[in-house]
Amino acid sequence: MNRYLKMIVFVSILGLFTSALLLGMNQLTNARIAANEEAKLKSMVLDGFDIPYTDTTINQVFDDTVTVEVIDGYTYYIDDATNALTFRFEGGGVWGPIIGLLTLDSDLETIVYITILEQEETPGLGGVVAERPYLSTFEGKLMTIDIKKEALDTSDSEVDAITGATRTSDAFETILNSTYETVIPIWENNQE
Amino acid sequence: MKLIRVTYTKWYNILKDGLSKENPIAIAVLGICSALAVSNRVENALAMGLGVTFVIIASSLTVSMIRNFIPSRVRMITYMVIISTFVILVQQFLQAYFPSIAAALGAYVGLIITNCIVMGRSEAYASKNPVRYSILDGLANGLGYTYVLVVVAVIRELLAFGTILNVQVLPDTFERWVSMAMAPGGFFVLGILIWIIRELTHNYEVQES
Repeated sequence: MNRYLKMIVFVSILGLFTSALLLGMNQLTNARIAANEEAKLKSMVLDGFDIPYTDTTINQVFDDTVTVEVIDGYTYYIDDATNALTFRFEGGGVWGPIIGLLTLDSDLETIVYITILEQEETPGLGGVVAERPYLSTFEGKLMTIDIKKEALDTSDSEVDAITGATRTSDAFETILNSTYETVIPIWENNQE
Repeated sequence: MKLIRVTYTKWYNILKDGLSKENPIAIAVLGICSALAVSNRVENALAMGLGVTFVIIASSLTVSMIRNFIPSRVRMITYMVIISTFVILVQQFLQAYFPSIAAALGAYVGLIITNCIVMGRSEAYASKNPVRYSILDGLANGLGYTYVLVVVAVIRELLAFGTILNVQVLPDTFERWVSMAMAPGGFFVLGILIWIIRELTHNYEVQES
């Protein structure tokens, strides 16, 4: 009996001690982590609008140049100077969700910039979807996007697929187009 | 004269065991899952190696400190709780103060919890030995893990992307080995490497009759 009692006491003390450590660390870092995440999102929105900023001025620059509107649960970021529009897209990739920001020109059709916030694709293969050289091939293309696997002179709405990552490419195309088709009508209806 | 005596000290032998004679990957074949997953780029391998090294040292230190109080029936759970706590502390610290490193490591930090080397050293060494040797043992095993991982990653990154640490090494005309970026490439390279290391250290598995 004594043995079991000792075991229970030990596990309880261990549990209390580690929980206290984790709670303490959480208290210490919580605010900083939230601020970091907010700054990261703002920096990505500003990157999309090609607005210069530094780590210290980011909040100020963001407040001065970007309008944020929330309609039907969708968040829209508008560049006050150019009327370019940024919104979030989200959907299932091969291994996990692909979440990112899509910036469109004021014609709501030409892609200005794409950023990936979160993805869990195969590193080195589907993971290429989050890399700048690949994302920049979308710039200047018109929605809706058509991702092509065969070699071609990509024009208008066509973008090359990622080599060796057919399913990521397919998923990415679906995510971009379906988000575009739901988000833009909501935005346009609201503008009238 | 001094140099010869060094080889007889306990410190030297603990380091040697971790790095070569009982290398956690090549000889004990522990921690293979993470070694295969993160060895397709050198920077991932380095970051993972350092993270694992820190967690082994910290958890070995803690386990060694309380080794006389841990009831033997719940020792595995105790190690697990201690290791998870350290991993989460590292993860939160990185997210709060070094968000760019945290972003680069992504899910890999959490994967340290599942690394069998950490648990292995707690059970095999730290639970039976004094604190100072346990720390050294953790360091030796962490470094032993790191260097094998980096060697595998150099080979895989070179063949799969033509780069090392994201710096272009091979010309663009080089036909990239896509399979090297995926799990099979990891198995091939790690398998061949383990074979070479075992040949060099004359470590053969003997069939018991």
